[in-house]
Amino acid sequence: MPHSRVKKISWFFGSNGPSGRATIDSLPPIELRDVSLRFRSYHDKQYTLKRAALDLILRRAEPPARSEFAALSNVDLRIGAGERVGIIGGNGAGKSTLLRVLARIYPPTAGVARIRGVVAPLIEMGAGFNHELSGKENILLNGAMLGFSRKQMLEKVPGVLDFTGLNEFADLPLKYYSSGMYMRLAFAIATEVEPDVLLIDESLGVGDAAFVDKAKARIRDVMNKAKVVVVVSHDMAALRELCDRGVQLERGRIVRDGPIDETIDAYIEHVHQSHVA
Amino acid sequence: MTTRTSTAVPHAEYFPLERKRTFHPALLLAPRREISEIVRFWPVIANMVIQELRVRYQRSFLGFFWTLLNPILMMTVLGFVFSNLYQGRTGDNFTLYLFAGMVPWGFVQSSIGESALCFIVNEGLIKKIYIPKIVFPLTRLLINLTTLGFTLTALFLMLIPLGARPSLALFALPAALVLLAAFVLGLSLIVSTLNTFYRDCGHLVSVFLQAWYFATPIIYKPEFLPQRIRWWLVFNPAYPVVKLFQDILAGGRWPDWPTWLMAAGIAATSVGVGYATFKSQEDKLVFRL
Repeated sequence: MPHSRVKKISWFFGSNGPSGRATIDSLPPIELRDVSLRFRSYHDKQYTLKRAALDLILRRAEPPARSEFAALSNVDLRIGAGERVGIIGGNGAGKSTLLRVLARIYPPTAGVARIRGVVAPLIEMGAGFNHELSGKENILLNGAMLGFSRKQMLEKVPGVLDFTGLNEFADLPLKYYSSGMYMRLAFAIATEVEPDVLLIDESLGVGDAAFVDKAKARIRDVMNKAKVVVVVSHDMAALRELCDRGVQLERGRIVRDGPIDETIDAYIEHVHQSHVA
Repeated sequence: MTTRTSTAVPHAEYFPLERKRTFHPALLLAPRREISEIVRFWPVIANMVIQELRVRYQRSFLGFFWTLLNPILMMTVLGFVFSNLYQGRTGDNFTLYLFAGMVPWGFVQSSIGESALCFIVNEGLIKKIYIPKIVFPLTRLLINLTTLGFTLTALFLMLIPLGARPSLALFALPAALVLLAAFVLGLSLIVSTLNTFYRDCGHLVSVFLQAWYFATPIIYKPEFLPQRIRWWLVFNPAYPVVKLFQDILAGGRWPDWPTWLMAAGIAATSVGVGYATFKSQEDKLVFRL
Protein backbone atom coordinates (compact mmCIF):
# COMPACT_ATOMS: atom_id res chain seq x y z
CA MET A 1 0.00 0.00 0.00
CA PRO A 2 1.45 3.35 -0.96
CA HIS A 3 0.14 5.16 2.06
CA SER A 4 1.35 2.87 4.79
CA ARG A 5 4.29 5.10 5.56
CA VAL A 6 2.05 8.12 5.97
CA LYS A 7 -0.03 6.25 8.45
CA LYS A 8 3.00 5.35 10.51
CA ILE A 9 4.05 8.95 10.71
CA SER A 10 0.70 10.22 11.83
CA TRP A 11 0.62 7.50 14.42
CA PHE A 12 3.44 9.20 16.15
CA PHE A 13 2.70 12.79 15.40
CA GLY A 14 -1.06 12.75 15.59
CA SER A 15 -2.11 15.25 18.20
CA ASN A 16 -4.36 12.82 20.00
CA GLY A 17 -2.31 9.71 19.85
CA PRO A 18 -4.01 6.41 20.41
CA SER A 19 -1.79 5.48 23.33
CA GLY A 20 -3.52 3.39 25.95
CA ARG A 21 -6.29 2.15 23.68
CA ALA A 22 -4.17 -0.16 21.65
CA THR A 23 -6.69 -3.00 21.50
CA ILE A 24 -9.32 -0.95 19.69
CA ASP A 25 -6.84 1.02 17.70
CA SER A 26 -5.14 -2.01 16.31
CA LEU A 27 -8.16 -2.26 14.04
CA PRO A 28 -8.43 0.57 11.55
CA PRO A 29 -11.54 2.68 12.18
CA ILE A 30 -12.40 2.59 8.49
CA GLU A 31 -11.92 -0.43 6.34
CA LEU A 32 -13.45 -0.70 2.87
CA ARG A 33 -12.71 -3.87 0.99
CA ASP A 34 -13.58 -4.00 -2.68
CA VAL A 35 -16.62 -1.80 -2.12
CA SER A 36 -18.86 -1.11 -5.09
CA LEU A 37 -22.09 0.74 -5.40
CA ARG A 38 -23.79 0.04 -8.69
CA PHE A 39 -27.10 1.28 -9.95
CA ARG A 40 -29.11 0.12 -12.86
CA SER A 41 -31.23 2.62 -14.54
CA TYR A 42 -34.38 1.86 -16.38
CA HIS A 43 -35.40 4.79 -18.44
CA ASP A 44 -39.01 5.66 -19.13
CA LYS A 45 -40.47 2.92 -16.99
CA GLN A 46 -40.90 2.57 -13.32
CA TYR A 47 -40.70 -0.75 -11.67
CA THR A 48 -44.26 -1.02 -10.44
CA LEU A 49 -46.21 -3.71 -8.73
CA LYS A 50 -48.11 -4.32 -11.93
CA ARG A 51 -44.95 -4.89 -13.86
CA ALA A 52 -43.47 -7.09 -11.15
CA ALA A 53 -46.63 -9.21 -11.14
CA LEU A 54 -46.65 -9.50 -14.92
CA ASP A 55 -42.99 -10.43 -14.95
CA LEU A 56 -43.69 -13.09 -12.41
CA ILE A 57 -46.76 -14.51 -14.11
CA LEU A 58 -45.37 -14.43 -17.62
CA ARG A 59 -42.05 -15.68 -16.32
CA ARG A 60 -40.34 -12.83 -18.03
CA ALA A 61 -36.80 -12.16 -17.09
CA GLU A 62 -36.19 -8.77 -15.59
CA PRO A 63 -36.04 -6.27 -18.41
CA PRO A 64 -32.54 -5.46 -19.59
CA ALA A 65 -31.30 -2.34 -17.94
CA ARG A 66 -30.64 0.57 -20.23
CA SER A 67 -27.52 1.47 -18.48
CA GLU A 68 -25.51 0.43 -15.53
CA PHE A 69 -23.88 3.02 -13.49
CA ALA A 70 -21.25 2.52 -10.87
CA ALA A 71 -21.13 5.28 -8.31
CA LEU A 72 -18.24 3.47 -6.69
CA SER A 73 -16.35 0.53 -8.04
CA ASN A 74 -13.88 -1.70 -6.27
CA VAL A 75 -12.83 0.82 -3.70
CA ASP A 76 -10.24 -0.42 -1.26
CA LEU A 77 -9.58 1.99 1.51
CA ARG A 78 -8.13 1.56 4.94
CA ILE A 79 -7.93 4.56 7.14
CA GLY A 80 -6.04 4.07 10.35
CA ALA A 81 -6.35 5.98 13.57
CA GLY A 82 -4.81 9.42 13.40
CA GLU A 83 -5.17 9.93 9.66
CA ARG A 84 -6.73 13.02 8.14
CA VAL A 85 -7.85 12.21 4.65
CA GLY A 86 -8.85 14.66 1.96
CA ILE A 87 -10.94 13.33 -0.92
CA ILE A 88 -10.68 15.15 -4.21
CA GLY A 89 -12.05 14.65 -7.68
CA GLY A 90 -14.28 16.27 -10.26
CA ASN A 91 -18.02 16.56 -10.02
CA GLY A 92 -19.67 13.17 -10.08
CA ALA A 93 -16.49 11.34 -9.23
CA GLY A 94 -18.20 9.68 -6.28
CA LYS A 95 -16.83 11.77 -3.45
CA SER A 96 -20.10 12.39 -1.70
CA THR A 97 -21.25 8.83 -2.32
CA LEU A 98 -18.09 7.57 -0.68
CA LEU A 99 -18.75 9.81 2.28
CA ARG A 100 -22.27 8.42 2.55
CA VAL A 101 -20.94 4.89 2.51
CA LEU A 102 -18.58 5.85 5.31
CA ALA A 103 -21.52 7.32 7.23
CA ARG A 104 -23.37 4.00 6.74
CA ILE A 105 -26.20 5.75 4.92
CA TYR A 106 -25.60 3.80 1.71
CA PRO A 107 -24.87 0.13 2.14
CA PRO A 108 -22.46 -1.05 -0.56
CA THR A 109 -23.90 -3.37 -3.21
CA ALA A 110 -20.71 -5.41 -3.16
CA GLY A 111 -17.76 -5.65 -0.87
CA VAL A 112 -17.42 -5.04 2.83
CA ALA A 113 -17.50 -1.73 4.64
CA ARG A 114 -16.43 -1.73 8.27
CA ILE A 115 -16.70 1.46 10.21
CA ARG A 116 -15.87 1.33 13.87
CA GLY A 117 -16.79 3.88 16.51
CA VAL A 118 -19.03 6.91 16.68
CA VAL A 119 -19.39 8.55 13.29
CA ALA A 120 -20.39 12.18 13.09
CA PRO A 121 -21.44 13.10 9.57
CA LEU A 122 -21.22 16.78 8.74
CA ILE A 123 -22.69 15.92 5.39
CA GLU A 124 -25.98 17.67 5.55
CA MET A 125 -26.68 20.21 8.19
CA GLY A 126 -29.55 19.52 10.49
CA ALA A 127 -30.05 15.89 9.64
CA GLY A 128 -32.55 14.47 12.05
CA PHE A 129 -33.81 17.71 13.50
CA ASN A 130 -37.39 17.84 14.60
CA HIS A 131 -38.93 21.22 13.94
CA GLU A 132 -41.58 20.91 16.62
CA LEU A 133 -39.03 20.38 19.34
CA SER A 134 -37.08 23.05 21.14
CA GLY A 135 -33.42 23.65 20.47
CA LYS A 136 -32.43 21.88 23.64
CA GLU A 137 -34.55 18.84 22.93
CA ASN A 138 -33.08 18.67 19.46
CA ILE A 139 -29.62 18.56 20.93
CA LEU A 140 -30.66 15.52 22.94
CA LEU A 141 -32.41 13.89 19.98
CA ASN A 142 -29.51 14.45 17.64
CA GLY A 143 -27.10 13.12 20.20
CA ALA A 144 -29.22 10.00 20.52
CA MET A 145 -29.00 9.49 16.77
CA LEU A 146 -25.24 9.72 16.98
CA GLY A 147 -25.32 7.04 19.65
CA PHE A 148 -25.04 8.98 22.88
CA SER A 149 -27.21 8.43 25.90
CA ARG A 150 -29.43 11.16 27.26
CA LYS A 151 -27.21 11.54 30.28
CA GLN A 152 -24.08 11.98 28.19
CA MET A 153 -25.84 14.53 26.04
CA LEU A 154 -27.27 16.49 28.95
CA GLU A 155 -23.70 17.24 29.96
CA LYS A 156 -22.98 18.58 26.50
CA VAL A 157 -26.03 20.83 26.21
CA PRO A 158 -24.48 23.89 27.90
CA GLY A 159 -21.39 23.56 25.73
CA VAL A 160 -23.44 23.51 22.54
CA LEU A 161 -25.60 26.43 23.59
CA ASP A 162 -22.64 28.51 24.67
CA PHE A 163 -20.83 27.90 21.43
CA THR A 164 -23.80 28.85 19.29
CA GLY A 165 -24.82 31.76 21.50
CA LEU A 166 -28.38 30.48 21.41
CA ASN A 167 -28.86 30.26 25.15
CA GLU A 168 -31.93 32.47 25.19
CA PHE A 169 -33.56 30.46 22.40
CA ALA A 170 -32.92 27.07 23.93
CA ASP A 171 -36.59 26.44 24.69
CA LEU A 172 -37.95 27.84 21.45
CA PRO A 173 -39.23 25.31 18.92
CA LEU A 174 -36.83 24.89 16.06
CA LYS A 175 -39.33 26.07 13.47
CA TYR A 176 -38.97 29.62 14.77
CA TYR A 177 -35.20 29.58 14.31
CA SER A 178 -33.62 31.57 11.52
CA SER A 179 -31.66 29.54 9.02
CA GLY A 180 -28.43 30.87 10.47
CA MET A 181 -29.37 29.79 13.97
CA TYR A 182 -30.37 26.42 12.61
CA MET A 183 -27.05 25.90 10.89
CA ARG A 184 -25.09 26.99 13.91
CA LEU A 185 -26.96 24.56 16.13
CA ALA A 186 -26.42 21.66 13.71
CA PHE A 187 -22.75 22.44 13.40
CA ALA A 188 -22.26 22.81 17.13
CA ILE A 189 -23.90 19.47 17.92
CA ALA A 190 -21.90 17.53 15.36
CA THR A 191 -18.68 19.01 16.63
CA GLU A 192 -19.46 18.88 20.34
CA VAL A 193 -19.86 15.12 20.52
CA GLU A 194 -16.19 14.28 19.94
CA PRO A 195 -16.69 11.52 17.41
CA ASP A 196 -14.23 8.80 16.52
CA VAL A 197 -14.82 9.37 12.84
CA LEU A 198 -15.63 12.83 11.54
CA LEU A 199 -16.91 13.18 7.98
CA ILE A 200 -17.04 16.63 6.46
CA ASP A 201 -18.57 17.54 3.11
CA GLU A 202 -17.56 21.13 2.36
CA SER A 203 -20.39 22.49 4.33
CA LEU A 204 -18.72 25.22 6.19
CA GLY A 205 -21.09 28.01 5.22
CA VAL A 206 -22.31 28.21 8.75
CA GLY A 207 -23.27 31.79 9.38
CA ASP A 208 -21.86 35.27 9.66
CA ALA A 209 -18.19 36.12 9.47
CA ALA A 210 -17.67 36.01 13.20
CA PHE A 211 -19.12 32.54 13.37
CA VAL A 212 -17.14 31.27 10.41
CA ASP A 213 -13.90 32.05 12.22
CA LYS A 214 -15.21 30.34 15.31
CA ALA A 215 -16.31 27.38 13.21
CA LYS A 216 -12.92 27.02 11.56
CA ALA A 217 -11.17 27.02 14.88
CA ARG A 218 -13.62 24.48 16.19
CA ILE A 219 -13.29 22.19 13.20
CA ARG A 220 -9.57 22.15 13.78
CA ASP A 221 -10.17 21.39 17.42
CA VAL A 222 -12.48 18.48 16.67
CA MET A 223 -10.18 17.23 13.98
CA ASN A 224 -7.47 17.04 16.56
CA LYS A 225 -9.67 15.01 18.87
CA ALA A 226 -11.24 12.67 16.35
CA LYS A 227 -9.41 9.50 15.45
CA VAL A 228 -10.19 9.81 11.79
CA VAL A 229 -11.25 12.77 9.70
CA VAL A 230 -12.38 12.53 6.11
CA VAL A 231 -12.92 15.79 4.24
CA VAL A 232 -14.46 16.23 0.83
CA SER A 233 -13.70 19.59 -0.67
CA HIS A 234 -12.73 21.52 -3.74
CA ASP A 235 -10.75 23.96 -1.67
CA MET A 236 -7.24 22.66 -2.28
CA ALA A 237 -5.56 25.16 0.02
CA ALA A 238 -7.76 24.11 2.92
CA LEU A 239 -7.12 20.44 2.19
CA ARG A 240 -3.38 20.91 2.12
CA GLU A 241 -3.61 22.61 5.46
CA LEU A 242 -5.99 20.16 7.15
CA CYS A 243 -5.11 16.76 5.77
CA ASP A 244 -2.09 14.57 5.51
CA ARG A 245 -3.34 12.00 3.05
CA GLY A 246 -5.05 12.61 -0.27
CA VAL A 247 -7.32 10.26 -2.16
CA GLN A 248 -8.37 11.12 -5.67
CA LEU A 249 -11.50 9.63 -7.12
CA GLU A 250 -12.42 9.43 -10.74
CA ARG A 251 -15.62 7.79 -11.94
CA GLY A 252 -16.01 5.93 -8.69
CA ARG A 253 -12.50 4.54 -8.61
CA ILE A 254 -9.55 5.51 -6.50
CA VAL A 255 -6.95 6.66 -8.98
CA ARG A 256 -4.45 8.12 -6.59
CA ASP A 257 -3.74 7.69 -2.93
CA GLY A 258 -0.79 9.21 -1.16
CA PRO A 259 0.47 12.21 0.76
CA ILE A 260 -1.90 15.12 0.30
CA ASP A 261 0.51 17.43 -1.54
CA GLU A 262 1.46 14.83 -4.11
CA THR A 263 -2.15 13.90 -4.77
CA ILE A 264 -3.25 17.50 -5.16
CA ASP A 265 -0.32 18.42 -7.41
CA ALA A 266 -0.98 15.44 -9.63
CA TYR A 267 -4.69 16.22 -9.70
CA ILE A 268 -4.17 19.86 -10.63
CA GLU A 269 -1.73 18.89 -13.35
CA HIS A 270 -4.21 16.36 -14.68
CA VAL A 271 -6.98 18.95 -14.75
CA HIS A 272 -4.76 21.44 -16.57
CA GLN A 273 -3.78 18.89 -19.16
CA SER A 274 -7.33 17.93 -19.94
CA HIS A 275 -8.18 21.63 -20.28
CA VAL A 276 -5.43 22.17 -22.79
CA ALA A 277 -6.33 19.08 -24.76
CA MET B 1 -27.38 29.38 -28.86
CA THR B 2 -30.37 27.20 -28.66
CA THR B 3 -32.02 26.23 -25.49
CA ARG B 4 -33.90 23.05 -25.36
CA THR B 5 -36.58 22.52 -22.81
CA SER B 6 -37.86 19.07 -22.46
CA THR B 7 -41.09 18.51 -20.63
CA ALA B 8 -40.45 14.80 -20.34
CA VAL B 9 -37.53 14.60 -18.02
CA PRO B 10 -35.97 11.19 -18.46
CA HIS B 11 -37.10 9.31 -15.46
CA ALA B 12 -34.35 7.12 -14.26
CA GLU B 13 -35.30 4.60 -11.69
CA TYR B 14 -32.30 3.35 -9.88
CA PHE B 15 -31.96 0.32 -7.88
CA PRO B 16 -28.88 -1.61 -7.13
CA LEU B 17 -27.94 -5.00 -8.42
CA GLU B 18 -28.75 -8.03 -6.39
CA ARG B 19 -26.09 -8.72 -3.89
CA LYS B 20 -24.91 -12.26 -4.13
CA ARG B 21 -26.21 -13.80 -0.97
CA THR B 22 -24.76 -16.96 0.32
CA PHE B 23 -25.96 -18.30 3.58
CA HIS B 24 -23.57 -17.58 6.35
CA PRO B 25 -24.05 -18.74 9.94
CA ALA B 26 -23.43 -15.19 11.07
CA LEU B 27 -26.79 -14.29 9.52
CA LEU B 28 -28.49 -16.07 12.38
CA LEU B 29 -27.01 -13.45 14.64
CA ALA B 30 -28.80 -10.68 12.78
CA PRO B 31 -31.73 -10.51 15.22
CA ARG B 32 -29.32 -10.25 18.12
CA ARG B 33 -27.47 -7.41 16.50
CA GLU B 34 -30.78 -5.80 15.68
CA ILE B 35 -31.81 -5.89 19.32
CA SER B 36 -28.58 -4.25 20.44
CA GLU B 37 -29.14 -1.59 17.78
CA ILE B 38 -32.67 -1.03 19.04
CA VAL B 39 -31.36 -0.66 22.58
CA ARG B 40 -28.76 1.83 21.39
CA PHE B 41 -31.34 3.82 19.46
CA TRP B 42 -34.02 3.51 22.10
CA PRO B 43 -33.80 7.22 23.01
CA VAL B 44 -34.53 8.04 19.36
CA ILE B 45 -37.55 5.75 19.31
CA ALA B 46 -38.86 7.06 22.62
CA ASN B 47 -38.39 10.60 21.46
CA MET B 48 -40.26 10.05 18.20
CA VAL B 49 -43.13 8.29 19.97
CA ILE B 50 -43.53 10.93 22.67
CA GLN B 51 -43.25 13.71 20.15
CA GLU B 52 -45.91 12.26 17.87
CA LEU B 53 -48.30 11.64 20.75
CA ARG B 54 -47.78 15.12 22.05
CA VAL B 55 -48.51 16.69 18.67
CA ARG B 56 -51.55 14.49 18.27
CA TYR B 57 -53.12 15.33 21.60
CA GLN B 58 -51.72 18.61 22.78
CA ARG B 59 -53.12 20.91 20.19
CA SER B 60 -56.77 20.04 20.51
CA PHE B 61 -58.44 20.13 23.86
CA LEU B 62 -60.65 17.19 23.04
CA GLY B 63 -57.80 15.40 21.28
CA PHE B 64 -58.06 12.11 23.03
CA PHE B 65 -61.83 12.19 22.98
CA TRP B 66 -61.85 12.15 19.17
CA THR B 67 -60.06 8.84 19.08
CA LEU B 68 -62.78 7.44 21.35
CA LEU B 69 -65.61 8.92 19.36
CA ASN B 70 -65.32 6.60 16.41
CA PRO B 71 -65.49 3.33 18.37
CA ILE B 72 -68.28 4.75 20.56
CA LEU B 73 -70.41 5.69 17.57
CA MET B 74 -69.78 2.41 15.85
CA MET B 75 -70.57 0.47 18.98
CA THR B 76 -73.82 2.36 19.51
CA VAL B 77 -75.02 1.93 15.95
CA LEU B 78 -73.95 -1.66 15.59
CA GLY B 79 -75.19 -2.58 19.03
CA PHE B 80 -78.59 -1.17 18.16
CA VAL B 81 -78.81 -2.67 14.68
CA PHE B 82 -77.56 -6.09 15.56
CA SER B 83 -79.54 -6.55 18.72
CA ASN B 84 -82.63 -5.85 16.63
CA LEU B 85 -81.44 -7.99 13.75
CA TYR B 86 -80.56 -10.99 15.86
CA GLN B 87 -83.30 -10.55 18.37
CA GLY B 88 -82.34 -12.29 21.53
CA ARG B 89 -79.52 -14.21 19.93
CA THR B 90 -76.88 -11.62 20.60
CA GLY B 91 -76.58 -12.40 24.28
CA ASP B 92 -76.55 -9.93 27.10
CA ASN B 93 -73.47 -7.87 26.55
CA PHE B 94 -73.23 -7.54 22.82
CA THR B 95 -72.00 -3.95 23.07
CA LEU B 96 -69.19 -5.17 25.26
CA TYR B 97 -68.40 -7.86 22.71
CA LEU B 98 -68.27 -5.26 19.94
CA PHE B 99 -65.94 -3.14 22.01
CA ALA B 100 -63.63 -6.06 22.78
CA GLY B 101 -63.17 -6.82 19.10
CA MET B 102 -63.31 -3.41 17.52
CA VAL B 103 -60.73 -1.65 19.65
CA PRO B 104 -57.93 -4.18 18.99
CA TRP B 105 -58.90 -4.25 15.34
CA GLY B 106 -58.67 -0.48 15.19
CA PHE B 107 -55.09 -0.91 16.36
CA VAL B 108 -54.39 -3.51 13.67
CA GLN B 109 -55.83 -1.31 10.99
CA SER B 110 -54.15 1.94 11.96
CA SER B 111 -50.71 0.47 12.71
CA ILE B 112 -50.52 -1.48 9.47
CA GLY B 113 -52.02 1.35 7.46
CA GLU B 114 -49.61 3.92 8.89
CA SER B 115 -46.58 1.67 8.61
CA ALA B 116 -47.03 1.54 4.83
CA LEU B 117 -45.58 5.03 4.56
CA CYS B 118 -43.16 4.92 7.46
CA PHE B 119 -39.97 4.72 5.41
CA ILE B 120 -41.20 7.06 2.73
CA VAL B 121 -42.12 9.94 5.03
CA ASN B 122 -38.80 9.61 6.83
CA GLU B 123 -36.82 9.87 3.63
CA GLY B 124 -35.11 13.04 4.85
CA LEU B 125 -33.81 11.23 7.88
CA ILE B 126 -32.84 7.98 6.21
CA LYS B 127 -30.84 9.70 3.49
CA LYS B 128 -28.99 12.02 5.82
CA ILE B 129 -28.00 10.01 8.81
CA TYR B 130 -27.58 6.38 9.74
CA ILE B 131 -30.50 4.96 11.69
CA PRO B 132 -31.41 1.28 11.82
CA LYS B 133 -34.46 1.11 9.58
CA ILE B 134 -36.46 -1.02 11.98
CA VAL B 135 -36.81 2.06 14.16
CA PHE B 136 -39.55 3.42 11.91
CA PRO B 137 -42.04 0.50 11.89
CA LEU B 138 -41.34 0.05 15.58
CA THR B 139 -42.17 3.68 16.26
CA ARG B 140 -45.49 3.39 14.42
CA LEU B 141 -46.29 0.29 16.42
CA LEU B 142 -45.49 1.89 19.76
CA ILE B 143 -47.49 5.01 19.02
CA ASN B 144 -50.54 2.97 18.16
CA LEU B 145 -49.99 0.65 21.08
CA THR B 146 -50.06 3.59 23.47
CA THR B 147 -53.27 4.87 21.92
CA LEU B 148 -54.71 1.38 22.18
CA GLY B 149 -53.87 1.28 25.88
CA PHE B 150 -55.64 4.57 26.52
CA THR B 151 -58.65 3.65 24.42
CA LEU B 152 -59.07 0.26 26.05
CA THR B 153 -58.93 1.73 29.52
CA ALA B 154 -61.24 4.63 28.82
CA LEU B 155 -63.86 2.60 26.99
CA PHE B 156 -63.78 -0.19 29.53
CA LEU B 157 -64.53 2.30 32.27
CA MET B 158 -67.30 3.87 30.21
CA LEU B 159 -68.86 0.47 29.62
CA ILE B 160 -69.19 -0.39 33.29
CA PRO B 161 -72.87 0.62 33.24
CA LEU B 162 -73.36 -1.78 30.34
CA GLY B 163 -71.91 -4.73 32.17
CA ALA B 164 -68.15 -4.38 31.94
CA ARG B 165 -66.80 -5.88 35.13
CA PRO B 166 -63.19 -6.05 36.23
CA SER B 167 -62.32 -9.69 36.62
CA LEU B 168 -59.30 -11.84 37.25
CA ALA B 169 -59.13 -12.49 33.53
CA LEU B 170 -57.87 -8.94 33.06
CA PHE B 171 -54.49 -10.17 34.24
CA ALA B 172 -54.23 -12.02 30.94
CA LEU B 173 -54.54 -8.75 29.05
CA PRO B 174 -50.79 -7.88 28.94
CA ALA B 175 -50.01 -11.25 27.37
CA ALA B 176 -52.76 -10.75 24.81
CA LEU B 177 -51.42 -7.29 24.03
CA VAL B 178 -47.92 -8.67 23.48
CA LEU B 179 -49.23 -11.27 21.05
CA LEU B 180 -51.33 -8.69 19.23
CA ALA B 181 -48.36 -6.33 18.98
CA ALA B 182 -46.12 -9.09 17.63
CA PHE B 183 -48.75 -10.11 15.09
CA VAL B 184 -49.08 -6.51 13.91
CA LEU B 185 -45.32 -5.83 13.90
CA GLY B 186 -44.73 -8.71 11.50
CA LEU B 187 -47.43 -7.51 9.12
CA SER B 188 -46.21 -3.92 9.42
CA LEU B 189 -42.70 -4.95 8.45
CA ILE B 190 -44.00 -6.71 5.35
CA VAL B 191 -46.27 -3.85 4.35
CA SER B 192 -43.72 -1.11 4.99
CA THR B 193 -41.05 -2.93 2.99
CA LEU B 194 -43.34 -3.81 0.10
CA ASN B 195 -44.84 -0.36 -0.10
CA THR B 196 -41.44 1.26 -0.35
CA PHE B 197 -40.69 -0.84 -3.41
CA TYR B 198 -44.14 -0.77 -4.93
CA ARG B 199 -45.93 2.39 -3.98
CA ASP B 200 -49.32 1.04 -5.03
CA CYS B 201 -49.33 -1.49 -2.21
CA GLY B 202 -50.65 0.96 0.33
CA HIS B 203 -53.99 1.22 -1.42
CA LEU B 204 -54.34 -2.52 -1.75
CA VAL B 205 -53.57 -2.92 1.92
CA SER B 206 -56.37 -0.65 3.09
CA VAL B 207 -58.87 -2.51 0.94
CA PHE B 208 -57.54 -5.82 2.14
CA LEU B 209 -57.74 -4.77 5.79
CA GLN B 210 -61.36 -3.70 5.33
CA ALA B 211 -62.23 -7.08 3.88
CA TRP B 212 -60.37 -8.81 6.66
CA TYR B 213 -62.35 -6.82 9.21
CA PHE B 214 -65.59 -8.24 7.89
CA ALA B 215 -64.18 -11.74 7.58
CA THR B 216 -63.29 -11.76 11.26
CA PRO B 217 -65.97 -12.15 13.93
CA ILE B 218 -65.77 -8.64 15.29
CA ILE B 219 -69.13 -7.07 14.56
CA TYR B 220 -70.81 -10.46 14.69
CA LYS B 221 -70.34 -13.58 16.73
CA PRO B 222 -69.15 -16.75 15.05
CA GLU B 223 -72.45 -18.37 16.03
CA PHE B 224 -74.27 -15.97 13.71
CA LEU B 225 -72.54 -17.50 10.71
CA PRO B 226 -74.29 -20.38 8.95
CA GLN B 227 -72.79 -23.70 9.94
CA ARG B 228 -71.45 -24.47 6.48
CA ILE B 229 -69.14 -21.46 6.32
CA ARG B 230 -68.23 -21.20 9.98
CA TRP B 231 -65.30 -23.62 9.67
CA TRP B 232 -63.63 -21.14 7.33
CA LEU B 233 -62.69 -19.17 10.41
CA VAL B 234 -59.91 -21.70 10.98
CA PHE B 235 -58.07 -20.04 8.12
CA ASN B 236 -58.37 -16.56 9.56
CA PRO B 237 -55.08 -15.87 11.36
CA ALA B 238 -56.51 -12.76 13.01
CA TYR B 239 -59.33 -14.62 14.72
CA PRO B 240 -57.43 -16.31 17.59
CA VAL B 241 -55.72 -13.02 18.42
CA VAL B 242 -58.98 -11.08 18.43
CA LYS B 243 -60.72 -13.87 20.33
CA LEU B 244 -58.26 -13.44 23.18
CA PHE B 245 -59.55 -9.94 23.71
CA GLN B 246 -63.18 -10.92 23.33
CA ASP B 247 -62.79 -13.65 25.94
CA ILE B 248 -60.90 -11.48 28.38
CA LEU B 249 -62.79 -8.21 28.05
CA ALA B 250 -66.30 -9.26 27.11
CA GLY B 251 -66.46 -12.78 28.47
CA GLY B 252 -64.54 -12.03 31.63
CA ARG B 253 -62.93 -15.44 31.36
CA TRP B 254 -59.43 -16.77 30.81
CA PRO B 255 -59.09 -17.76 27.13
CA ASP B 256 -58.64 -21.50 26.62
CA TRP B 257 -55.23 -22.95 25.85
CA PRO B 258 -55.86 -23.78 22.17
CA THR B 259 -56.63 -20.11 21.56
CA TRP B 260 -53.49 -19.00 23.39
CA LEU B 261 -51.34 -21.47 21.49
CA MET B 262 -52.78 -20.59 18.12
CA ALA B 263 -52.42 -16.86 18.79
CA ALA B 264 -48.83 -17.34 19.94
CA GLY B 265 -48.01 -19.44 16.89
CA ILE B 266 -49.54 -16.90 14.56
CA ALA B 267 -47.76 -14.00 16.25
CA ALA B 268 -44.41 -15.80 16.07
CA THR B 269 -44.90 -16.69 12.41
CA SER B 270 -45.89 -13.15 11.60
CA VAL B 271 -42.82 -11.66 13.28
CA GLY B 272 -40.54 -14.25 11.70
CA VAL B 273 -41.79 -13.81 8.16
CA GLY B 274 -42.04 -10.05 8.54
CA TYR B 275 -38.54 -9.71 9.90
CA ALA B 276 -37.05 -11.94 7.21
CA THR B 277 -38.82 -9.93 4.49
CA PHE B 278 -37.64 -6.67 5.95
CA LYS B 279 -34.09 -7.81 6.58
CA SER B 280 -33.62 -9.21 3.10
CA GLN B 281 -34.53 -5.86 1.58
CA GLU B 282 -33.26 -3.50 4.25
CA ASP B 283 -30.11 -2.51 2.38
CA LYS B 284 -32.03 -1.57 -0.73
CA LEU B 285 -34.59 0.61 1.01
CA VAL B 286 -32.48 3.75 0.96
CA PHE B 287 -32.17 3.56 -2.81
CA ARG B 288 -35.91 3.25 -3.34
CA LEU B 289 -36.94 6.39 -1.52
